[in-house]
Amino acid sequence: MKSGSDLLKTFGTDTVFDVNAIVAHVLFTVLFDEVKSVETQEELRNIERAVKGRADIVLAQLPMLGLPEHRAVMEAAFVYGAKHQFVLTKGGSLERLGIEDPDSPGSHLWFLHCREVLRQSDPCQHTTLKKPLTTLNVYTFLQLMETPLVTEASVDPSDVKTVGSHLHAPLLFLFSQRETLALDRVTAETLGWRLRGEVAVVLIHRDSADVRTPVEYNAAYRLPAEGSVIKYFNLKSIEEVVNLFREDTVQEEEEDIDEDWAVLDVLDDEVVESVYRDRDVELDVGLVTELTSDTFSKAVQESNTAVVLFFVRWDAASLAVMQSFKEVADALEDIADVQLACVDCGEWTDVCSSQLIAAFPTVRMYWSGGLPHTYTGMLGTESLLKYIMLSLAAAPVLLSSSQEVQSFLQGDLFHTQATLSPTRVVGLLSSSQDSGWPMFEGAAQALRGETLLGLFADQQAEQWAKDHNVKLPAILVFRAPDSTIKAHSLQLSSTEQLVSDIQKLLLDTFPELTVENLPLYLELRKPLLLLFLGPEGDEEQGQGLDRRDAREELHRLADTSLLDTYVPCWVHLGRTPAGRAVLESYLGSIPQLPALVLSQLASGGEVFHFPSESPLNSDTVLQWLHRVERKEEQPAGLVLDEKWGPSVPFYDFLSIMDQEVPGYAAQKTPKMTKNMVGEKGSDEEPGHSNRTPSTKKHMPQQEVPTSHQHSEF
Amino acid sequence: SPRIQTDFGLVSLLFCTHRHDYCVLGAGPAGLQMGYFLSQTQRDYIILERNSGPGSFFNVYPRHRKLISINKVYTGRRNPEFNLRHDWNSLLSDRPDLLFKRVSTQLYPRADALPRYLSLFAEELGLRIKYGVDIGKIHVSEPAFHGGHGYRLTDQNGLEYTCGILLVCTGLWVPQEVNFFGSELVEGYESIPVDPEEYRGQAVLILGKGNSAFETAQSILGRASRIHLYSPSPVRLAWQTHYVGDLRAVNNELLDTYQLKSLDGLVEGGLEEIAIVRYDSEERNKSSRRKKHGSVEMKGRGQLYLTLDELLDNQNKTLAFSPMTLPGYHNDNFSLRQPYDRVIRCLGFRFNFSIFEGAASLLHSGMARGRLPAVTAWYEGKGTPGLFVLGTASHSRDYRSSAGGFIHGFRYTIRAVHWILEQRYHNRAWPTTKLQTTQLLSWLLRRVNEASGPYQMFGVLGDIVLLRGSHFEYLEEFPLQALAQFSTLSGHRVTKSGMLVLVMQYGLNRTDTLGSGRAESEWTWAWRSNFLHPVLYYYSTIPTEQEMKHRPAGWPLPRPKAIHHMIEDFLTEWDGPMSHIQPLRRFLEHCLQTDLRAFYAESCFRFSLTYREPPIFCRLGYLKKQGVIGNRKLWQHAREAGLMPTHHDSGTPKEDMSFQNYITKAAASVASGMNFHL
Repeated sequence: MKSGSDLLKTFGTDTVFDVNAIVAHVLFTVLFDEVKSVETQEELRNIERAVKGRADIVLAQLPMLGLPEHRAVMEAAFVYGAKHQFVLTKGGSLERLGIEDPDSPGSHLWFLHCREVLRQSDPCQHTTLKKPLTTLNVYTFLQLMETPLVTEASVDPSDVKTVGSHLHAPLLFLFSQRETLALDRVTAETLGWRLRGEVAVVLIHRDSADVRTPVEYNAAYRLPAEGSVIKYFNLKSIEEVVNLFREDTVQEEEEDIDEDWAVLDVLDDEVVESVYRDRDVELDVGLVTELTSDTFSKAVQESNTAVVLFFVRWDAASLAVMQSFKEVADALEDIADVQLACVDCGEWTDVCSSQLIAAFPTVRMYWSGGLPHTYTGMLGTESLLKYIMLSLAAAPVLLSSSQEVQSFLQGDLFHTQATLSPTRVVGLLSSSQDSGWPMFEGAAQALRGETLLGLFADQQAEQWAKDHNVKLPAILVFRAPDSTIKAHSLQLSSTEQLVSDIQKLLLDTFPELTVENLPLYLELRKPLLLLFLGPEGDEEQGQGLDRRDAREELHRLADTSLLDTYVPCWVHLGRTPAGRAVLESYLGSIPQLPALVLSQLASGGEVFHFPSESPLNSDTVLQWLHRVERKEEQPAGLVLDEKWGPSVPFYDFLSIMDQEVPGYAAQKTPKMTKNMVGEKGSDEEPGHSNRTPSTKKHMPQQEVPTSHQHSEF
Repeated sequence: SPRIQTDFGLVSLLFCTHRHDYCVLGAGPAGLQMGYFLSQTQRDYIILERNSGPGSFFNVYPRHRKLISINKVYTGRRNPEFNLRHDWNSLLSDRPDLLFKRVSTQLYPRADALPRYLSLFAEELGLRIKYGVDIGKIHVSEPAFHGGHGYRLTDQNGLEYTCGILLVCTGLWVPQEVNFFGSELVEGYESIPVDPEEYRGQAVLILGKGNSAFETAQSILGRASRIHLYSPSPVRLAWQTHYVGDLRAVNNELLDTYQLKSLDGLVEGGLEEIAIVRYDSEERNKSSRRKKHGSVEMKGRGQLYLTLDELLDNQNKTLAFSPMTLPGYHNDNFSLRQPYDRVIRCLGFRFNFSIFEGAASLLHSGMARGRLPAVTAWYEGKGTPGLFVLGTASHSRDYRSSAGGFIHGFRYTIRAVHWILEQRYHNRAWPTTKLQTTQLLSWLLRRVNEASGPYQMFGVLGDIVLLRGSHFEYLEEFPLQALAQFSTLSGHRVTKSGMLVLVMQYGLNRTDTLGSGRAESEWTWAWRSNFLHPVLYYYSTIPTEQEMKHRPAGWPLPRPKAIHHMIEDFLTEWDGPMSHIQPLRRFLEHCLQTDLRAFYAESCFRFSLTYREPPIFCRLGYLKKQGVIGNRKLWQHAREAGLMPTHHDSGTPKEDMSFQNYITKAAASVASGMNFHL
């Protein structure tokens, strides 16, 4: 293929086996800039992200190229390429749409409604082309996508001229009158969504004199066939109408479960939806004991340690946490000391009130001889398990000799717990008479379940302090990954201060950020210096930026005080895949890994990307940070500054009332009030004055109901 | 506002012991209920009762001894708050065992059970009651009591009680009578014999069509020959009107015998226009002799005739009886032309206004034909500050609409009045629960699914949510009609975030209670719900008194900024994720202008790093280290639903690359070619 004297492309004879193949390939080449191709849904999402709010996507799945379907799509792209974003895929990896059956290799086409999406976080809704991929079908389909969901008209169905009439698409007419307009619009829109791409929906205003349809019908349709007549019928349910068209026009496809995507009754809350999908499994609490008003007090008094989950069944987060709680119960099955229990506050409201439960779910630990402790950590299996296990150790662990201190720090004492806790803390006091003692005891209670805290109040503590170059009172912090012990002198002022000091000292200088620990570091409210590392073996080599080097470079730097104004940290995209979406949001795409990013979350909201071509070492990083500070670097992206408003518009009952029953929801005018007094203000028997026996002798009840059918179901 | 000083101890010593901050008049259900709340807050109070035990009304009434307040012991539930929705006789207390079911497990208990229950209640809670004190006169005390009114009560022995606040819980016990010619021939419900044998073969005319009339009719149905019920208005059936004061099905057997034409019947007509005349034996003999003149035939043992006042001229009134004075003489198919053996008045009871004198006089409410005193929306007598009317006598606020005249309703209004007293006289604000906004949805659902106060006192008491941004304060069972005075009465402010009001309401469409289409099931049609269902009103500021006054006809509250009806539910369980919860959440999101969805920790992680501010669920949970982690199965569900992004999984086997290779090659060739523009 040539343009002027330039050779554009050569085709192998195996690819251009017939006219379809030739047209398809030629168009494909010509339209190369406009038609994108994707292999993973990651890539598809990138495209979606790029066009959201601007354009819609036409996505075609073509298992083989050069077939008539390919040609049809390319021809459509030739016409509509400037309007819609065309995307081709081989298919098989687009589970996101929820339709693909990776085993069915057929050609399919979808229209992704991205243009109307206002917020990045919202998904694009989609419509499936239900007919074979022919040029005409694709053309009709795309035309229908452009027509409004519902057209409105004030003429008789036979006079309606809409896009549908020349598009070989069936037309569905719904009749509406002024009083029911709002609700009819909702119905029409629902139907519009359900039938989008197959049927054009027209709402006819019956109040118009031009409408000649008999009032006994509220709906009609006309099939696209030449000369077909309008058939009138009574719309009773949406399903019925949908089926009507399915039977009439579409034979090949079974009804699709995911078709309800766009209607109002789709759960849009990930926690609610995921719990709801398990509704067929009756809530089974497994090894967790269900407590009642009768058993609660006894259970929490008699067991050594009882961990109680307070929940309500209508709270999805509660039910999600219940899943984790059951897993914890399974893991602790053999530990006799711990009882896992739950209280359904929807039923045992008295228990929950007396326990002052003010949030669902609440996890609270009850132990013999101590005040109950409300768990304030992450509500997940691992975190809960760790909390419970660590709580089983004394708080504080009283250490009586230097050997014990040694073995406590090394994890030999409380071995089980020590393996769960990456940190251990020992408070050093000169004697048990020290005024710091009660503060340490309080702090140990407050930190119970969070870390292991030992207390060494002895003359030998002085020696430990001296060895570590600090003064008493002091604490020793042991950190598991690198087995270091660091000592810090303390100013003991209050228990709260001590707790917060210890919590700060427990923070890592160069942590691996995970879903579970991010909040600890965000609390510092400093810019994050994030090193994104790809999963092992997933990095492109040869750029001189080795993952281990980069991490160690930064670690060294983090241990100096040069990065004190930042939180240097790293994210392992294999272990924390959500980091990938973060990186994408920052930079628009996934750059070469490892990638170093400065995110000014708490200030300014700008994101800077350390140039991937530069070598990454202490000097280059510091220089880069200085340039950023001096505003000499261009931000590579921004932290999103959108407000989290309502996820969807609400259903405005007031305006529906106003339309359906004008005046029903209106405030009375003062004049009206006067008129209403006789009617509403008086409770007196209506009209009794003229019901004397002489005029009305025998009055049977007028308003006795006649029908006995209960329609609630 | 006047504040009661706590130095009453000394004053009391000087003026002997008959001086109290609070006097409760009457030891019926309302008096004991108020006494309980006053004892809870350790107020100086006394309950004065003229009889020797509590609830003496129930020693006599109902005459046929069957209580018609539901005592449903077996609800299938163990939630004590929920169970109060179906326990109409218990009083409120903090004792889980002090419930009516201790004295009776019958659905419609014997009336004797009630005084027994009340004695138990008073005794176990140690309420301070003085029996045998019959207050005959109530005056405003002079000088004025701490800037406000005080009240002076005088008993049958001339002993005086001085009270800072007077709580009138005297109920309704004066039989309602009507004056017409011959009304002295009428027996009263309060004194009729209750043995059905006394009515054997008799024709009985009952004046009234309420529960006492039907209760009387029902008890004699098997003995009386014919029972007619006469009153101005047609029967109102409780199961049609949802008003428990209307005719309850438990008493309505006569409707059957009427409609099956089995001798009994209902007739409408004014009570003031009738007259009852007696035909005594002397007259009877005379008239027999003149039989040929009269068209009225005397049958059976009947002696009492119903006639119309207009047919009796003054002369006839003295002469008492002649056939010409009977309507049957003029109208040969007049319904009530046959004579009766008895005429019984069952017209209910009225409040005893007679003991309130001078400035302490209570006004008559326009409701219930003046039988009830007029009270404000917070149950203070109109014109009598410091005097509150509680219990059945306070029913003018919701007469014929809600349950304020019955134990299962006024037990809650009394609690409300108690909080108002605490705020006004002791500066203790109405108790609230302060919670995080992420808990708003589940807290509302909790109330909607268990609360008994708004359920029983539908349309009258409502929960108030004071929105405060990231938290809210929840205040239970405030009297809705006093909403304009909310801040003064409750001691709480409404900020610019506005407020929500949760009300239980029946629908307005009351046409065909058992007909098809009586219930809605689509949540978008919730505003047309007919059965009791929750309604939420959102206001950005407290409605003014004017707005309250001009509220839409039939509405408990003025037009709000936004309204949400939760679709009526057959089981009254409002916990469906699609039909109940999500629509409610979206309404709350609209009012709060924030996304209230829940997110797993992983999503919060993403939002926390990529947004200046993540959604409130992440802010108040995850960022406080309390994220909901979930597990693989749940994430999988969320991903399949398209609500959580699917991760690019490095473990996915790389498939046939030919398609990709093809594109890569094509890209390379185009790039190496030329700039090609269409």
